[in-house]
Amino acid sequence: MTEPATNRSFVRLSGVGHRYDPNPAIPPAVTGIELDIRRHEFVAVVGPSGCGKSTLLRMISGLLTPSEGEVSVFGKQVSGPRDDVGIVFQKPTLLPWLTVRKNVLFPLKHKFGRYGRDDEKRADELLAMAGLESFSNKMPNELSGGMQQRVGIVRALLLNPDILLMDEPFSALDAMTREQIGFDLLKIWQENPKTVLFITHSIAEAVLLADRVLVMSKRPGTVLEVVDVDLPRPRTTHTISEPRFGQLTERLRKHIYEPEAT
Amino acid sequence: MSLKLPEGRAGRSLLTAAPWLFFVALILLWELICQGFSLPAYVLPAPSAIVEAFFNVEMSRWFTHLWATLRVALMGFVVSILVAIPIAIAMMRSELLTRTLFPLLVVVQSTPVVAVAPLIIVLMGSDDPSRVLITCLLTFFPLVVSTATGINETPEELVELSRSLDAPLRRETWQIRIPYAIPHIFSGLRVAITLAIIGAVVAEFVAAEEGLGYFIQFSTSFFRIPQAFAGLFFLAVVSLLLFKSVQWTQQIFFPWSLPKK
Repeated sequence: MTEPATNRSFVRLSGVGHRYDPNPAIPPAVTGIELDIRRHEFVAVVGPSGCGKSTLLRMISGLLTPSEGEVSVFGKQVSGPRDDVGIVFQKPTLLPWLTVRKNVLFPLKHKFGRYGRDDEKRADELLAMAGLESFSNKMPNELSGGMQQRVGIVRALLLNPDILLMDEPFSALDAMTREQIGFDLLKIWQENPKTVLFITHSIAEAVLLADRVLVMSKRPGTVLEVVDVDLPRPRTTHTISEPRFGQLTERLRKHIYEPEAT
Repeated sequence: MSLKLPEGRAGRSLLTAAPWLFFVALILLWELICQGFSLPAYVLPAPSAIVEAFFNVEMSRWFTHLWATLRVALMGFVVSILVAIPIAIAMMRSELLTRTLFPLLVVVQSTPVVAVAPLIIVLMGSDDPSRVLITCLLTFFPLVVSTATGINETPEELVELSRSLDAPLRRETWQIRIPYAIPHIFSGLRVAITLAIIGAVVAEFVAAEEGLGYFIQFSTSFFRIPQAFAGLFFLAVVSLLLFKSVQWTQQIFFPWSLPKK
């Protein structure tokens, strides 16, 4: 505990794999994943559909127990759902009968049955940070898709988790909103550093946001390569026009379209 | 044939007025046929004769019959809600219970209630409890099915959210699953309320001394056909108002559960 946390592995996956079907003729969803994530690192995972990206995320969250290998957070094995994890899903999955503010406070209400003044203050601060303060008393269906997903992110931050797991959080949004919300996420992440695992289909999005990009293979999902993104932060719209950005996306694209080239 | 409506304001007011105009036209046509062919009132009474028959019956008598039917229908409706929703929740919790109970529910549902009603009256007497039971047999099933469907359609992500928070199952049920089922529960309630009226009338057809169903049957057996029609229309209006009340309840208390316009 006395060691500086930033230099050692925070989330460690050693030989992790999972099969949903016990029939050995059917390949496992993911297998043999080795990965070390540093504290407050932003890791993106890209790979073809059905490569087990979501399975990986669920194993880190403790919602799914790996059938091989071990997931550990800060040296402790993950054995069940853990409350220091915030999850953002592909769809915002807000509760349509609660206001935006109450949706943000929902994790507390759900976990403990109540929340206090301080919690309300924290919810308001988080909403303000995401630029949603004027919408806090609106109902979810009065918000655009992008705003709903922002509320989903704020909700995941309420319990101030160490780890933020994001399962293709922007894939339901249009391209313009998607880019903007990506920058907003980076801003939020810089203000509240978290260890982020970000699953996406978009190579450009992965390069733009992450410190490292993990490329996964087709089923059974394994790690094909881990690419360090050495682009300077803060990343802005200018980052996209830098030659290095183009080189990195090109390199990742090669892996996805010609996996045998590796 | 074109399905295009005239555009603009005129088009919209036509849309609103269309069902009423059609209804008035039907009544007028009915009146004309009865007058034109001089149909005797005991075959098909003219709308004017039905209206006349309606006002020939004292209001206090109408209300006695209305109350008798409404009482049974509403009691059956409420009892169904109190039984069906907990059963649907219990079935969500336990697959064993679902497997055990569901076939029985299907058997009960597929047995014509009209055929069972006389047996229930023989078994339990011709009082409110047996009438309420007959009503429940009709209203119960759609409520169980709609509630169970709603509960099962809760997005998987929300269940995962609940599990990742390590929340007690009780809160998952009350804070996520049941509210998610509200739109489905209301579609079940809309079906159930009209079935409740049918159930009450069926029970009155078998054995009763009052009620709108009894009134229609009794009027028919004395060949007071316009009066029977008056009872029938009264019953239809009451049934419609109950249906609307369920809709209004949803609009007032659960506006978020309505489909977005």
